[in-house]
Amino acid sequence: MANDQPSTRPETRHQLQMARSMCWHCQSAMSGEYFCERCVKVQPVSKDTDYFTCLGFPRRLTLDPKKLEAKFYELSRAFHPDFYQAKSPTEQTISLGNAAVLNTAYRTLRDPIQRAEYLLALEAGSVKDIRTSPPADLFEEILELQDTLEQYRASDRESDEGHRLRATLQTEQQTLERRREEMESQIRQLFTDWDQLQDRGEATSQARAERDRILKRMRDLLSHRTYINNIVNDLAATIA
Amino acid sequence: MAYSNKVVDHFNNPRNMGSFKKDEEGVGTGMVGAPECGDVMKLQIKVQNDTIVDAKFKTFGCGSAIASSSLATEWLKGKTIEEAQKIKNTDIVQELNLPPVKIHCSVLAEDAIKAALADYQKKSDTQPVDIK
Repeated sequence: MANDQPSTRPETRHQLQMARSMCWHCQSAMSGEYFCERCVKVQPVSKDTDYFTCLGFPRRLTLDPKKLEAKFYELSRAFHPDFYQAKSPTEQTISLGNAAVLNTAYRTLRDPIQRAEYLLALEAGSVKDIRTSPPADLFEEILELQDTLEQYRASDRESDEGHRLRATLQTEQQTLERRREEMESQIRQLFTDWDQLQDRGEATSQARAERDRILKRMRDLLSHRTYINNIVNDLAATIA
Repeated sequence: MAYSNKVVDHFNNPRNMGSFKKDEEGVGTGMVGAPECGDVMKLQIKVQNDTIVDAKFKTFGCGSAIASSSLATEWLKGKTIEEAQKIKNTDIVQELNLPPVKIHCSVLAEDAIKAALADYQKKSDTQPVDIK
C-alpha cells in the first residue's frame, strides 16, 4: 500500500524519461499498470506503448466496443487533469500527457477500419511487399465516374440529359455501395482469421505465411475500400 | 492549417487539366493512388523526339494533391525524358511549401510522373515513336 516516503530528489524532466520499469518518483520497480504500487504516483504512458496495450487489450481485431468504452472511461477518470490540480507539476504533466494518448488510442481503436489500419501500421513493417500494386482497373473506373459526375454538375439538372446522368450515377452509387459492403464483410472475416491465428500462437513457418497473407490482403482491401468510399461520398454529395 | 498561396493558386487555376487518348502515339499515362487518403491521380505526357511537348493531369483528392500534379505538368513540359526522371517530390514540397502532413501528396505526384514515363517507355519499346 501507499508508503509515501518524502523524496529529496528534484522531479526533473530527466526522470520522466526513465525506463518505464521504474517509478519516476520512488524508483521502486513498477508492477502496476499506470500507478506505482508503492507510492501510488501516476506513471507516464511510454512512447513505445501501442494503443492496444495502452487500453489493456491484446492485439486483436475483434473488440467488444462496450468493454473498450468501459476501460476508456475507467482510465479517463484515472488520468483526468482535473484530479491532479492539487498534485505536483510532474504529476500534472503526466496526467495531461496520458489523457491525450488515451484519447487518441480510444478514437483509433473504436473504429474498426482505423483499428485495422493501426494494426497494419504496427505489424506490417515486417511483411515484405506490403505495398500493393495500384488497382489500375479501379482507378479507370473512378476516373470515368468522376467524368460523368463533372458532366452532371455542368448539366441542367432538369433537362433530359440531367435526368439521364442522374439515373446513371444513382445506379453506380448503389453498385459501389454493395461492393463496399462486400469488402467490409471480407475485412471482418480477416479480423476473425487474424484473431484465431494470434490465439493459436504458433511460430511455424506456416503460421508466418498465414500472418503475411492476412496482413497483405487486409492492406489491399482497406486501400480499395478507401478509394471506393471516396467516390461513393462524392456521388452521394452530388446527387443527394 | 492554411494552404500556401501557391497551392491555392494551382487549386483555383489548375494548369493543364484534362487528358489525352491513352493509345495516342507518344502518350504515356500514369495512374496512381494514395491508399491512405484515397486520392487518385492521372498524369499524362505527350512525347516527341524524346522531349515532353505536352502534359495533362486529372486529380481527385485534396488541394495539395491537385496543386502537386498541376505543378508537375508545368514542370514536365519542355523537358527531355531524362530531365523529367530527375523531378523529385522534395522539389514539389519546396515549391509549394507543403506542410509535413501533405508530403505524401508530392510523393503521389512523383509516382505519377514515374508511372507516366515508364508507360511511355514501355509503349515506345514495342512501337517506334519517331514523329518527324
